[in-house]
Amino acid sequence: MNYIKKLTKAREASSLFFLIFLFVIVGCINTSFLTASNIVACFNDSVVFTLLAVGMAFVIFIGEIDVSVGANLGFTASVVGSLLRDGHSLVFSFGAGILIGALIGLINGWGVAVLNIPSLIFTLGTNGVLRGLIYVYTDGAWVENLPAAFTAFASRPLAGGVTVYYSVSIAAIIVIHILLTRTKKGKYFIAVGDNAGGATLVGIPTGRTKIAAYVLCGVFAALASILYASRIGFITAIAGNGYEMKAIAACVIGGISLSGGLGSVIGASVGAVIMSSVSRILVFMGFSSDYDNTITGIMLITIVVLDALMQRHAAERIRRERLLARSSKMSEEKEGN
Amino acid sequence: MNKRKTAFLNWETFLLGILVMEFVVFGVKNSKFLMPRVLLASVNDFIAICFIALFVTFVMITGGIDIQAASIVGLTSIIIGVGWQDGGMNIWLAAALAVAAAAVCGALSGFFIAYCGVQAMVVTLGGSFLYAGFALLVSNFSATEAYQGISGFPDSFKVISKFKLFDVIPSQLLVFLVLIVIAYILLHKTKYGRSIFLVGINQEAAEYSGVNTRLVILSTYVLSAVSAALAGIMLTSYLGTAKSDLGANLTLNIITAVVLGGTLSTGGKGSVLGTALASLVIGILRFGLPLCFKVNTQYLDIPVGILLLVVVIGRAVVSRPGTLAFLHKLKRR
Repeated sequence: MNYIKKLTKAREASSLFFLIFLFVIVGCINTSFLTASNIVACFNDSVVFTLLAVGMAFVIFIGEIDVSVGANLGFTASVVGSLLRDGHSLVFSFGAGILIGALIGLINGWGVAVLNIPSLIFTLGTNGVLRGLIYVYTDGAWVENLPAAFTAFASRPLAGGVTVYYSVSIAAIIVIHILLTRTKKGKYFIAVGDNAGGATLVGIPTGRTKIAAYVLCGVFAALASILYASRIGFITAIAGNGYEMKAIAACVIGGISLSGGLGSVIGASVGAVIMSSVSRILVFMGFSSDYDNTITGIMLITIVVLDALMQRHAAERIRRERLLARSSKMSEEKEGN
Repeated sequence: MNKRKTAFLNWETFLLGILVMEFVVFGVKNSKFLMPRVLLASVNDFIAICFIALFVTFVMITGGIDIQAASIVGLTSIIIGVGWQDGGMNIWLAAALAVAAAAVCGALSGFFIAYCGVQAMVVTLGGSFLYAGFALLVSNFSATEAYQGISGFPDSFKVISKFKLFDVIPSQLLVFLVLIVIAYILLHKTKYGRSIFLVGINQEAAEYSGVNTRLVILSTYVLSAVSAALAGIMLTSYLGTAKSDLGANLTLNIITAVVLGGTLSTGGKGSVLGTALASLVIGILRFGLPLCFKVNTQYLDIPVGILLLVVVIGRAVVSRPGTLAFLHKLKRR
């Protein structure tokens, strides 16, 4: 019973309910939405955003932001794609991609944690540089002709239509969630985001944790880029444009507080499914997918505003209770005298 | 205090130095660059950055950030186009409507930031989605296909970007100068400007000293949105077409201009002149590199991004205690 209570109170639970609610509503309007294959497709299609959002979640846990993941995805996808096209082995290409992603994360982490530069400003700068580097690397041309085996693997189902990519990602995310909530080092991220000064005082290496969060974010962006290349089959110079915003939105919708220290990677992956389903839902409801941005913006703003209002309300209530308790104590003491 | 003031002046002189250096380097490399006609025509390409950066400075001094301004440029452009062509409005009425719509957008975001206490970054991120989405929706009202853009505006509208004082100075620069003067007086010479700085330094202290901090914060977002609307009108007039995605990808340039201009991204410090100079530095860079060094225009985000990184890293390194002590030691020797 206690366990169930805890579950319903969790922040990611509300986003899961929102997801179910959304699907049911759309299903009421257009019943063909609620077929098994369509719902599975919603999840399968979200895999790139899921990985991006989970990476972003680490950075948001520590109370920072990373707007360079979209360009990171585009750049690593171009590199991995071109390596594969030129006949390099899978291991070598993937390794190079992940290394690049980690390196980008390391640079961002260095700027934010060591130099104390506001994260939005710093990652906006790396975003611009990376965007330009994509053009330099590819000369603006598409990276095409990826090996057929690589692109075909994207649609290979594991069980019940769920692709290998999505099931492996979800398994990994569950493992990460357990590591984050059950191990000492895993809890560092939330602790640093909740109260960086306090975390330092109890002996948590704050700087190193921040850098680790950025490196993980970069690695996840690189993993996402590999899946992106495999699923789409070609990489344009604007690949991943705006994905950073969608990844942040996915985290917020998934119940991760942007002030840090709250939320879970499970929430981020639920948020990613909601985010990536918006355009599909619009099509099923008979709207043009032009509304995609509008809906995303409205959802994002509504959720953060509600979250802020609720947090303020809770803080206010706690303060009032404390004051009441104190004043009643004082009056008791007076009566005693 | 006096020392700080001279240091502040130094930063602006430093920016002026960079600007002059750019002129020299680009001029030496390609003499065409220094032809007044070419040089002055170039302002069209970056005037939007200059307009918007001036007022995003206000936002950043309060400790906020505005990444939605770029999407408001497209929104105003398409409102003018649709209002004029499909709504049958007078072009000036359409432009006024666009400015009003932008102000409402800015006020909406500003309200959430100031009165609901949501981080500025998230709200303006959502705003950038929302207003870009609105722009698409508005463009759906038009009979013209979105990718074509609405064109054929009356000459009286086009003239606001074609007018040249003494046949040399383009109207864009004149408007920019007027905006600089307005922004300078607002920020540095009025009580309102002082309260903006005060909010950025310590919002609570400002609140207790009788400043309506929330209204001040909200107003800065309205100002930056209106400046984005002016940029949208200018661009629409110059290009002769109204498009919903006008001004996309301006964000990096705007933020770089503000930060390069000496505004602290944590708030409390900044100057209009610094931002004005910095936006010119960026604009000339974006104009000169392709002309004189054959840099592909698609690569231009690299120098701008590097510029932003160099400035923030440089500032962070200089202000570290270790470096300060080192500099002090050097001076003693």
